[in-house]
Amino acid sequence: MKTIDFFVNGTEVSVTCSPSKTLLDVLREDAGLTGSKECCGKGECGSCTVSMNGLPVCSCLVLAGQVHGENVITVEGIGTPENMDPVQQAFMDEGATQCGYCTPGLIVSARSYLNSIGHLPGLDEIKQALGGNLCRCTGYTKILKAVQTAAQSQLTFRDL
Amino acid sequence: MYASEIDMLSPRSLLECLYLLENEKASFRLLAGGTDAVVRMKEGKWQHDYWLNLKNIDELKFITIEKDEIHIGPLTTHSEIISSPLLQDHADVLVQACREVGAAQMQNMGTIGGNIGTASPAGDTIPALFALGAIIELTSITGKRQVSAEDFFVGPGKTVAFPNEIITKISFKVRGKHDIGLFQKLGPRKAQSISIVNVAISLSMKEGTKECLGGRIAFGSVGPTVLRAKKCEAMLTLGELSPDMISNISSVAWKEVMPISDIRASASYRRDMASALLERGLYRLIKRWADNERKPF
Ligand code: FES
Ligand code: FES
Repeated sequence: MKTIDFFVNGTEVSVTCSPSKTLLDVLREDAGLTGSKECCGKGECGSCTVSMNGLPVCSCLVLAGQVHGENVITVEGIGTPENMDPVQQAFMDEGATQCGYCTPGLIVSARSYLNSIGHLPGLDEIKQALGGNLCRCTGYTKILKAVQTAAQSQLTFRDL
Repeated sequence: MYASEIDMLSPRSLLECLYLLENEKASFRLLAGGTDAVVRMKEGKWQHDYWLNLKNIDELKFITIEKDEIHIGPLTTHSEIISSPLLQDHADVLVQACREVGAAQMQNMGTIGGNIGTASPAGDTIPALFALGAIIELTSITGKRQVSAEDFFVGPGKTVAFPNEIITKISFKVRGKHDIGLFQKLGPRKAQSISIVNVAISLSMKEGTKECLGGRIAFGSVGPTVLRAKKCEAMLTLGELSPDMISNISSVAWKEVMPISDIRASASYRRDMASALLERGLYRLIKRWADNERKPF
C-alpha cells in the first residue's frame, strides 16, 4: 500500500492503495468518479480515456504509482449537467450518443484535441484525433458531426 | 499474489535505478509508458516483485544533436518524437513510424525505449531504427556498452540486454538533404493497430538523378525479429530507380522475410504484402525525391 497524492479535476486527492492499481480503478473506486469506463482494459478502445497533464491517455494502463503529483482531468471535470462544455452540448444536440459507454472517453479525447489546435479541423483531422476511441453503436457519423459543431462554436465564441 | 499487488519503486535518478537493479534477491520489471507492460501484468504473464517506475528519471528524456549525431533519451514519448522539429528534419523515417504507433493515447504514453525493450517483432519504431543505423546504449552500474540496433534483438521479446542493464540512449548519424526515408505499415485498421507487415526505407540519393548511392530496408512483423532485406538493398544501387527497377527489387522481398501465420494474417499473405509495401514505398519515395529535385533547394 502506498499513499498517492495527485490532482483530479483541479482538486487535490490522496488515496491509499496498491501502486499497481490502475488509475481507472482508483478514479472509479477511490475517487468516486465513475464517468470513465473500462471496456477492453488493454489500450485498444479508449473508453477509459482521461487527460493527464493535458494529453489524453488510457487510464486502464496507467498505474497509480505513476500518477503522484500529476494533473488528471476526467469527463466529470470537463463540464457538469448544468454547465456543459461545448463538446458535451454538441453530443446532445447532434444525438452522438446511443448506449453512452464510449462517450466519456470520446468527450475527453475531443476536448483535449480541440484544446491543442487553433483552427477549424477537417473531417480527416478529427478522425485521426479520435482514432483511439471505438464506438460500437453510432457508426461515428454523428460523433464526427458533433465534434465539428463543437469546434465551430468554440471558434465563434473565441472571435466574439 | 494478485498482479495488481506488485509493489513499485520510483527511483529519482539513473544511478539510483541502476543500484536497485543490482539487487539479486528481488525480481524487477521496468515500467515506462505501460502500454505493453501493464497489459502483460493484467494477463498474469509477469510475476515480479517490483515495478521500477522510470517516469521520474528526467535524465532519460531528451532529444539533442551533437556534431553529426542525434541522441534520443529512451523515455521520450512517441508524441514528443512526432512533434520534434529536429527529428522531422533529420529522421523522417522515425517520425513516420511513431505516427503509426497506435492512436493518440498510445503515442502520448508509449516511449521509444519501451518499444525497443519490449522487442516485439511488430514494434513500429524498430524497423525505422534499423534503417537509420541506430546505436543503442546500455548502462549498468559497472559501465556502458553500445549495441547496434541490428544486433540488439535476438527473438520475440528477447534482447541482448542483461537484467541489470537499462537502455540509456538511442543515437544515429544526422542525415543530409540527399537522404530520404519512409515508413509504411499495413494493419487491420488504421488507428491503434498492430502491424501485419511494416517496412522502413532509407536511401541516399545522387543529386539531380534517380540513382541511389546506398540504402537500408528493414521489415517488421515478418520474422522473429525485425529483418534487414540485404538482397533488396544490394539491388538499390544497380541503376536508376525506375518503376521497372523498383518492381524488380520488390519482387525479391519475399525471399528476405520469414513470416508465421497467426491471428492477424497468414504467412503467404504477409509475404505478398511485404513485396507490395516495399514497391509502394520505394515508388512514393522516389516520386517525392523527384518532385523536390525540380524545385531548387
Ligand atoms: S478500457 Fe482502456 S482502452 Fe479500453
Ligand atoms: S454509444 Fe454505444 S459504444 Fe458508443
